Amino acid sequence: MTTLKTMKKQSRGDKPTEPLVFEKHVAGAIGVDFPPLDVSETKVPEEVAGGCTTLPSFGQHDVMAHYTHLSDRNFSVDGNFYPLGSCTMKHNPRINEWGAALPGFACLHPLQDEEEIQGALRLLYETRTMLEEIAGLHEVSLQPAAGAHGEFTALKVIRAYFADHGQTNRTVVLAADTAHGTNPASCTMCGASVETVRTVNGQTDLSHLKEVIARIGGGNISAFMITNPSTAGLFDSNIQEIADIVHEVGAKLYLDGANMNALLGRVRPGDFGADAMHYNTHKTFSTPHGGGGPGSGPIAVTEELAPYLPVPQVMMADDGSFYLDREREKSIGKVRSFIGQFGVLVRCWAYISACGPNGLRNVSETAVLNANYLAARLCEKYPMPFFDPKNGKFCAHEFVTVPQNLLDKGVTLIDITKRMIDYGVHPPTMHWPMHDCLMVEPTETESKQALDSFVDVMLQIADEISSEIELVQQSPLESDIARADEVAAARKPILAFK
Amino acid sequence: MDYTQLNTSQRQEMLATIGIQSIDELFNVIPAEIRCEKGLDLMPALSELELQRALAEMASHNHGAHDMPCFMGCGAYDHFYPALIDQLISRGEFLTSYTPYQAEASQGSLQAFFEFQTQIARLTGLDIANASLYDGATAVAEAALLATNTTRRKEVLVASTMHPEYIAVLRTVLSDVNIAITLLEATDGTISPATVALNMSDAVAGVIVQSPNIWGQIEDWDGCFAEAHKVPKTAGISVFNPIACGMLKTPGSCGADIAVAEGQPLGNALNLGGPYLGLLAAKESYTRKMPGRLVGMTKDEDGRRVFCLTLQTREQHIRGAKATSNVCTNQGLMAMRASMFMTTLGSDGIKEMATQSWHKAHYLANEIVKLEGWKLTHGGPFFNEFTVTCPCDVTKVVDFCKSNGVLPGVAAAGRRMQGLSSGNELIIAVTEKRTKHEMDALVALLQEVSA
Repeated sequence: MTTLKTMKKQSRGDKPTEPLVFEKHVAGAIGVDFPPLDVSETKVPEEVAGGCTTLPSFGQHDVMAHYTHLSDRNFSVDGNFYPLGSCTMKHNPRINEWGAALPGFACLHPLQDEEEIQGALRLLYETRTMLEEIAGLHEVSLQPAAGAHGEFTALKVIRAYFADHGQTNRTVVLAADTAHGTNPASCTMCGASVETVRTVNGQTDLSHLKEVIARIGGGNISAFMITNPSTAGLFDSNIQEIADIVHEVGAKLYLDGANMNALLGRVRPGDFGADAMHYNTHKTFSTPHGGGGPGSGPIAVTEELAPYLPVPQVMMADDGSFYLDREREKSIGKVRSFIGQFGVLVRCWAYISACGPNGLRNVSETAVLNANYLAARLCEKYPMPFFDPKNGKFCAHEFVTVPQNLLDKGVTLIDITKRMIDYGVHPPTMHWPMHDCLMVEPTETESKQALDSFVDVMLQIADEISSEIELVQQSPLESDIARADEVAAARKPILAFK
Repeated sequence: MDYTQLNTSQRQEMLATIGIQSIDELFNVIPAEIRCEKGLDLMPALSELELQRALAEMASHNHGAHDMPCFMGCGAYDHFYPALIDQLISRGEFLTSYTPYQAEASQGSLQAFFEFQTQIARLTGLDIANASLYDGATAVAEAALLATNTTRRKEVLVASTMHPEYIAVLRTVLSDVNIAITLLEATDGTISPATVALNMSDAVAGVIVQSPNIWGQIEDWDGCFAEAHKVPKTAGISVFNPIACGMLKTPGSCGADIAVAEGQPLGNALNLGGPYLGLLAAKESYTRKMPGRLVGMTKDEDGRRVFCLTLQTREQHIRGAKATSNVCTNQGLMAMRASMFMTTLGSDGIKEMATQSWHKAHYLANEIVKLEGWKLTHGGPFFNEFTVTCPCDVTKVVDFCKSNGVLPGVAAAGRRMQGLSSGNELIIAVTEKRTKHEMDALVALLQEVSA
């Protein structure tokens, strides 16, 4: 292996700190102008007059420069390998952006009458039915704004179902010890309490599941929230038995769909017994993460839960026209304003339509192939507790490594990940779902060359830990900044510029 | 196209490296009975050219603010925004990055969000703001939870003049966590401080008042929050319009402790209702109970000024069931658009937009009330939106205007507005984009339909 050069052309210190907009203010300058007022003026009464006068402004060229400089300080899927486990940082096709920006989509007011927005409603209806088919479930709601919002909405739906069936004491939700933090947080927002179910080797511990159910009493449980494949990157082969155990006591099986990229066209959650699930369109269906949103978290549910879905619901009438049903008698009500993250769903529609059924299947196959290829090439230097291809133990679309061998030489997990930044690789998810682990998800859109380059980087870092450990300990050495003092930031928070 | 990049020989090579013959072996762990062998029942794949045609075709079946003058508001406004926003926001470095957990690889997003937080704090006249929530409605709900979590009290007073969808979402969110909603009755379209006083008690965590409210009327935040504060620690929660902050009293100057809003007017397209962004600002005392992402200023090991996500122990990925909210992915890109908008316009530009909207709305209102039988529904001051009572069936008015190529406003009656009214009120919004010519044309149509 040849020694890699780190990627950044400039070494740190060459790039000056970008001043804040508040430090660039030029009195009287403005980035855009307005036409003159074309009507007579009406006096503003003193009792209401006021207004903010402290937002800075400056000329348009410098506005462009400011954000161009800031954009130069970001890793992105476009420019970097971004193997963030459980986040599915796949390529974001630009046809999706093109479509969402069409004036016939972008300029629609959410309270317009249905007859003026038939094209938009058709798109929503088709998205709804495509997501129903992919889930293998009866009905999808496109309302939730993000995955966590989908969890919240689905838990409300399940709660409403039980309330309607006189089972109001079902107030406990079970979640795996490897669950996303949003799972228990969403439970709290629904007034449910959470009980943790153990996992063993990345799979649900069936005996513990039964034990917890027996201890709490099956009649007090509303749902078991499971992520499958799990956050350890493993498909839970006991999933049907888990569904049976949960259903036996009358509870519902909830699938956290964060890892749907491993299942597309291969397994439908409804077919293994899921009663409700959420999607993350910004993971599975290529809508951009945007530095933290917008996402979209459609939920899919069984027929018995469907009456409780939020309003409005997009429907097709007998004559083939589309409308919004706002009057579902048993609905949990509204969970956000208007009719969902429409612009995000345009992108989702475009992605699913681009892939088609065979393409979606190829997405999950390639995502799983890429992950296993990386795991196979790295497992010698980066031990993986669940990966053992000689014995038929593979990963799904992501894998977990616990590099104890490297940590024992005197580096921390953070050292390793910060050194990756020097090589232009975004650090993987870390310390979750296990302590001292890295969780790597390459996604299906990476080329073999990109995968091989990543392997080279990881092997070189392992070598450096043996030969030049301080390089790793002091990293990042060539990023825009040295390590940020996050402890000081939290101790004395400065959340606004004074 | 599924956007994968491997050719057949690369796949074979990779399978050999793993030590298997076929990809199916990787899926053997999935029990045979639940495998989807028949394939998904979806339309066949479309090429990019076909996608362009299909998307353009669907878009062509829609009519909206791009081909009709739009006088619709009620929480979503057809405001101007500079062309540079669409250009800058399309930069892949912003568009395709993740939530900036890794400070050393995300200074661009982090600095932009820090600037956003500061801009929102200044716009509202409060101390701090978070890095966005989903939308205005969910921001109201988070504000109510912030107030109840801080005080441990179990009731919120809510102006009945708030956007009915915000009230509906608040009901959904609070329904299973034992927090009661008391609606404050309106007098002539606004909430009287005396009504707040009448409903105050030491069980009340917060008083939520939107201004301008759903009818467009400016509420007396000062008076309402003064009554709220007679019970110590009660939060005055203002639901504001960010453009109005360019010329009207800000929430902070009226005694608000928490301010929330729909942020769409700040540089975001109408998008049929989303993606938008929720704004949440507050006094400093709420810092450690805030929902959502917060970006803080700190130093790196070399002493440089840098930015990072902070106070993450409030958040779901650290705190689980005890988190202040379940929010994870928020509306980062929309917040960045809003920040670019505020940077390009500054206070002066936002004031100009607000002032033009004010004058145009008042011009239009004056012209409409000159018509036989048309009158303003309420008597109080308004900003860029007002309500008129039509002398005939409001549905007829709306349909007639639309058939003549104008979106005249939002009818207050009907399920879409959650049963706000059963009368013939029409809520009309006027942004800086509307011209005298468009307004005069609307007046002529109203005259014709009611003649």
